[in-house]
Amino acid sequence: MTADRHLRLALATTLLFLAMGLGLEAMLGLRAQGAVDDGVRRELWRLGHAHGALGGLLNVALAYAMERLRTPAAWARRIRLAALLGALAVGLGFVGGGLWHGPTDPGPLVLAVPAGALMLLSSLGAIVLLRAGDGPAAS
Amino acid sequence: MGASPGASEEGRRASAWLFGPALLWASCSAVGVLTTILDDAAWSAVDRTRSTAVGSARCATCHPDEHESWRRSYHRTMTQRAEGAAVLAPFAGEHLDALGFRATMTRGAHDQPHVRIERIEGPAAVVLDVDVELTVGSHRYQQYVARIDRGGGPNELWRLPVAWHVELERWIHINGAFLTPEGEWGEEADYLRHLARWNDNCIFCHNTEPVPGLELASGRFDTRVAELGIGCEACHGPASAHLERHAWPLRRLLAGLGTAGDQSVAHPGRLSAGLHADVCGRCHGNRIAADLGAVLEHGDGFLPGQPLSEVSRPILREATLAGQPGRPFEARFWPDGTPRLSAYEYQALLLSPCHEDGEGLDCGDCHTMHGPEPVMQLRPNYTAARACGRCHGPASLSDADAPGGHGRHGEAVGCEGCHLPRTTYGLLEGMASHRPTRPRPQDLRARDDQPDACTQCHVDRSRDWAAAALAAWAVGGAPLEPGEDHGPAGSRVVLDLHGGDPIQRALAAHALAQPEAPVAAEERMAWLVDALDDDYPAVRWFAFRGLRRLAAERAEPDVMQALEVSGAMEDPGLRALMIDRLREILGPGPLAQRPEQRRALHERRDDQAIWIGE
Repeated sequence: MTADRHLRLALATTLLFLAMGLGLEAMLGLRAQGAVDDGVRRELWRLGHAHGALGGLLNVALAYAMERLRTPAAWARRIRLAALLGALAVGLGFVGGGLWHGPTDPGPLVLAVPAGALMLLSSLGAIVLLRAGDGPAAS
Repeated sequence: MGASPGASEEGRRASAWLFGPALLWASCSAVGVLTTILDDAAWSAVDRTRSTAVGSARCATCHPDEHESWRRSYHRTMTQRAEGAAVLAPFAGEHLDALGFRATMTRGAHDQPHVRIERIEGPAAVVLDVDVELTVGSHRYQQYVARIDRGGGPNELWRLPVAWHVELERWIHINGAFLTPEGEWGEEADYLRHLARWNDNCIFCHNTEPVPGLELASGRFDTRVAELGIGCEACHGPASAHLERHAWPLRRLLAGLGTAGDQSVAHPGRLSAGLHADVCGRCHGNRIAADLGAVLEHGDGFLPGQPLSEVSRPILREATLAGQPGRPFEARFWPDGTPRLSAYEYQALLLSPCHEDGEGLDCGDCHTMHGPEPVMQLRPNYTAARACGRCHGPASLSDADAPGGHGRHGEAVGCEGCHLPRTTYGLLEGMASHRPTRPRPQDLRARDDQPDACTQCHVDRSRDWAAAALAAWAVGGAPLEPGEDHGPAGSRVVLDLHGGDPIQRALAAHALAQPEAPVAAEERMAWLVDALDDDYPAVRWFAFRGLRRLAAERAEPDVMQALEVSGAMEDPGLRALMIDRLREILGPGPLAQRPEQRRALHERRDDQAIWIGE
């Protein structure tokens, strides 16, 4: 994935989950059944909205950080993919876990959240640890 | 052009670093989900008879909303330790003099509520001097329970003979809540008539998983309950198996998969109408145990979700008891079999055609235990029209197109006004019948043994008028004007107030105090004064509270002041003064000009004691 595409998709992810906030507010305002009266769903959708938007912003920050720190290209391509997938998995995992859930707990789609979080953390860790000269590109 | 070996190696390292942990998590999750789905023990029915109670606090972790709605309910506060805010009465040195005894309510060491009862006259004799350990009730009146060894060992607890009335904010003698005559002045046995043993009486319907623990050989008690008050497990059953099953997070995440619902606890809302009613009927339907000895030893053995008939049979009008002649419970029912006491709502529902033998109407159609409103616990936005309308559409109702619709009362009277009339006595209240019936005053003509819905509201009308009015409606006629029997002399309610049995008299007084009764409040207050002189304290309390309510609504300070004579409800002399003062303000009673009719009605009175059978 190119740096430009990553930045564009990161902003799109932020846009998607921020727009979801508008939808949630509208549902609360209109007292939409199935959203307002379902505590588990309401909480998980709120979490999905917040984490998805934060994940998108984190990707924007990562895109700038990788450019600024000149992260090795072999890593950078994969970091962009992992970070973007991570943000989507976290946001959509919460949303899906709330959309289809049992009486007291989220549905199984929420299991995507830890997977996404691990990808985001790995990406962030890699950028922190890698130097510009690391890897075969420097040899 | 392929990548160099070094770059390829670096790419693999990057992939492993970036995606490895997530893939590992995904793999473990997939295995866990599959294992859980395929684990028969996670989904099959559990042996709930081996489940034990865990307490409502444990439920809050996963069911916070349900726990909160339960916490607000009077079910939770049905029995509490006599501590802090649980105690509604002041216990600040108040006295209650009744039947020649004085009860003094104070606080002892550690602020423990304390009750001391002594004879008022003669040599000082202490009847009771006890610390209060438990409170029972919190809605209408609060009763108090103390440890008194009367032969059943040190664990015996007894309901004391005084109670705190919440609405009136005053002490009452507990005889006043029962349908028995007041008793003889100075007779200790009468004063302590309703000193009921908690261990094998109150415990059953006021606590969760009660076990009286009676040792049949010694008569001693080793009583225990899973939780004081009606906790979650009273309706859902013991929950240890439920907790054990759901301790595994993946089982909780996959809970939505099951089509049969969770079978480790009962969910009354998902039971059939019959089994749902059984859950409520355990307490809201007096029963006869299949094995009383076993119940007193080990508890009633009922498991929510299973038929109540496995452990008991409901008390109905025709019920008999081995070793007792006749039908010992007959007085608790109207002649048509409808219960006339509260805690028989289950029987009323069973008798209703709407219940359809356990397939139709159930308690949950009108009530919810997890709604916002603790009083009556009706469903949010409940109206009887909505509940009834699910089966009885407008097209199926006679007269639905007439002005005012079916019944022609417009919005002033809902379905319940005519079909669930207030013909039930309980807890010093007139309550709605839980047996939906069709009002048929014509069937009760020339009978004095059962009220009808029409005249319980039209309190100045006779039953003949009600029957004729219904007949006129049936052919589209206009509402009938009252005939010659209009007025107090012919009023069905007045006839009951003077000539009925204790329940009829209490319900007549209750009917006169209802805000919707279409008769001037001043007139009704004058009629109610007669009941202040009733031999039964319960009837007197109905009259007293009715007068208070009407006087408060009408802003009648003179009446309010006359009612506030201290001790008048317990002392006949003071009460006579109160009645005289009220007569001066409100005028003569309904039969003042007809002393012969009044005498005849009083002679006809059925002054039987009606045992409520706690």
